[in-house]
Amino acid sequence: MTAIIEVEKLAKSYGGKRGIAEVSFQVEEGDVFGFLGPNGAGKTTTIRLLMALLRADAGTARIAGLDCWKQSLEIKRLIGYMPGEPALDPNLTGGQILEYFAHLRGGVDDAYLKHLVERFELDTSRKFRQYSTGNKRKVVLIQAFMHRPRLLILDEPTSGLDPLNQQEFDRMVLEARNEGRTIFLSSHVLSEVEKTCTTVGIIRDGRLVRIGDVAEVKAIKRYEMTITFATAIPVETFKSLDGVIEVEALHNGHGVHLAMQGSADAVVKAAARYPVISLTSYEPSLEDIFLRYYEGDGPRSAEADHVA
Amino acid sequence: MWLRSVFLKALRDYRIPILGWGIGMGLVVVSPMASVATLLSTPQAREQLVGLAATFAWNADVVAVDTIGGYATFKIGMFIFLIAVWPLLAASRMLRGEEDRGALDLLLSVPRSRLVVALEKLAAMWTALLAMGLLIGLLTFAGGQKFGGGFSLGDGLLFGLNLALVCAVIGGVALLISQFTQEAGPAAGWTAGLLLFFIVLDMVHRVIPNSEWISRFSPIYYYNRSKPLVPSYGTNAGAMLLLLVLALVLSGAAIWLFARRDVGGTVPLPCWLRRPAHTASRALPAGDWSLRSVYARSLGMIAMPAIWWTVGIAGFAGWMIFAVQQMEARLSTLFASSPTVMNLIKNIGGGDASLNAGFLSAMFVLLPLFLMAFAVTQVNGWSADEQDGRLELLLATPQRRLGVLLARFAALGSATVFIGVITLFASAVAAAASGLTLDLGNLAAATLGMIPLGVLIAAVGYLAAGWLRTAADTGLLSFLLLVWFFVSFIGPELKWPDATLRLSPFYYYGTPLLHGLPLVPLLGVLAVSALALSLGALRFVRKDIGV
Repeated sequence: MTAIIEVEKLAKSYGGKRGIAEVSFQVEEGDVFGFLGPNGAGKTTTIRLLMALLRADAGTARIAGLDCWKQSLEIKRLIGYMPGEPALDPNLTGGQILEYFAHLRGGVDDAYLKHLVERFELDTSRKFRQYSTGNKRKVVLIQAFMHRPRLLILDEPTSGLDPLNQQEFDRMVLEARNEGRTIFLSSHVLSEVEKTCTTVGIIRDGRLVRIGDVAEVKAIKRYEMTITFATAIPVETFKSLDGVIEVEALHNGHGVHLAMQGSADAVVKAAARYPVISLTSYEPSLEDIFLRYYEGDGPRSAEADHVA
Repeated sequence: MWLRSVFLKALRDYRIPILGWGIGMGLVVVSPMASVATLLSTPQAREQLVGLAATFAWNADVVAVDTIGGYATFKIGMFIFLIAVWPLLAASRMLRGEEDRGALDLLLSVPRSRLVVALEKLAAMWTALLAMGLLIGLLTFAGGQKFGGGFSLGDGLLFGLNLALVCAVIGGVALLISQFTQEAGPAAGWTAGLLLFFIVLDMVHRVIPNSEWISRFSPIYYYNRSKPLVPSYGTNAGAMLLLLVLALVLSGAAIWLFARRDVGGTVPLPCWLRRPAHTASRALPAGDWSLRSVYARSLGMIAMPAIWWTVGIAGFAGWMIFAVQQMEARLSTLFASSPTVMNLIKNIGGGDASLNAGFLSAMFVLLPLFLMAFAVTQVNGWSADEQDGRLELLLATPQRRLGVLLARFAALGSATVFIGVITLFASAVAAAASGLTLDLGNLAAATLGMIPLGVLIAAVGYLAAGWLRTAADTGLLSFLLLVWFFVSFIGPELKWPDATLRLSPFYYYGTPLLHGLPLVPLLGVLAVSALALSLGALRFVRKDIGV
């Protein structure tokens, strides 16, 4: 496979404010690359540099062998783009917006465009200003896919979409991948990236801290579990179990809060020995994971850890 | 301190309009005082002024117009629409605008009733109107003192209060209508239409005998019942009280409806007034010319404002041609008694002000000013598109940045040409209809010659937009426009050196109605425009978008 995106020591700052620093990575053609990071980490800056909306202070970015800044026009013929905060003429209807962008791209396959509109059940007769957040994102998502681009660059594409449309999006990503197209998507939700991507890059504080296949991300994925019991239980029971990282007693021993990684089998079996009132498991925010995983881990966070 | 309550926060938001609109409108009241003071030197001049005002009696009450206060009241009566613009816009946005932006959802999530929130916002708007009325009253009094108006501070303040009251009524109408519309814009539009209707309704009794009962349905009629700046006429407390009651009833009804309807929804209309239910569609538009390219889309965006500005500018030119003949005799008597005004008109018009050609030429010099104001509003749109992120997706398509900028600029250029051509056409028709003989070549020069000036300010605006945010860009252009206007129209009277006068583009427009097209100077203006646009384009193709 050949690299369709090649980023080398890319840097951008906004006056004195940090943007990104020395970001380097490659995305292979046909890959679904998840660009993961908490809010403000530098995902959108990297994407806007790829789209030639920003000019890099240092480093290079190439798409399909073309320089992102100098040959941006040729590159944009290959790309479908969805910005993180879509802003369009509020007085145009969804249909007019799609028609306009189809013209700007030199025409698209009308049948495929209509198919996408049907697929997302978009009401094209409403003005953009009248759309809900989810419907605004549908319009922008359709315009990104409608010309069957070789590379899709999507900035937090599922943010604001309902679960049904998120599933539809997942299917579209899969189809695009099966057709050999490349997808570069950013997200701050681990499970979303886990679901759709094959390769993942993690950015934090403007620096790329890890690149690897999606299995690597699963390794850092931690979750939390709170179990409430009808009677007080010996909390120590949980400390030595497989998958348990931290244990905290709650409600005078009537409950336990666990930080977990990996399988929950041992914990569930141990809990079953006592009268359980409730069991709640949830995924912490990416920021929480990063704080725990990377804090005090200077050497690993200073430079990208390539494991793929 | 200003963020302690909804009332204070809303008042804080109004602080710039209070100062800007209050002082601006105060100056609008004072300026006719200044101009008329020099015209009232002889009994003949007074007589002519009364006669001149009488020709506009259909528009405003002609009461003691040969006094400073009477003339100012008369002039403001003619421009009451202007005064009501702020309350009209502010009230239509007060609740509906915030609902549009989704800001009201958050505000109404705090433990404060909907009624209280709305009342606090309304109280802030009324406080702002009173503060504006106070500023207008104080400036009016100061103007009266300066030019010998002969009215007291109390009269000035009552004048301001009367204006604030009629503005509160118009605001109440806008607030009420906004309960029935999905967006603030249509509410403002409907209110503006109603305001025009009220103004016409008030005019009826001045034109048709025994029709005063019809005018009584207009709030403007009750505003005109009080003329505090004319001590002999005085203030009609009943009329002012009625305006207050009207404002209370309209605003009260609006808030009552707001407290009962869905936030983000509208008050349900009777079924015969409702629009047909929206039916979802998956169809895509075909054959829409305005979606075919960036230039076509830019033209589509600019079309509606361009048409309205064309109506205004071409209408002004046509109306001046019609009016100048009717006013000729009176103007010459007036100007004869006022060397200052005579010189001013002569400086601006470039000819003898006592002749209608000189006067008309002076009025035509306002045309490029209007066209440039139009260009400023459109440059604002370009700058706002980048600031609000609307260029991002456009620039993600295979369109060159330079092409996008030039397409937008070309659309604006096309609109200025359209306005120039239609103004020429309207002027020629008006001249033919009124029997006024005008040199067609000079008329073409006067109307088409304004195009380079419109293009110039647009190019300067595009250049500045490379660095400045929307508000700063628009502010800079407005400031430039004011400075240029001042340099060209006041500079000669102040005997400023030619080098200073050359700094204003109006200098290069000259007085084409009398002296023909100054081709070389206007080509110079175009060259400067091209340079500014080139620099602006150079900046745009290299800059970070949306930063």
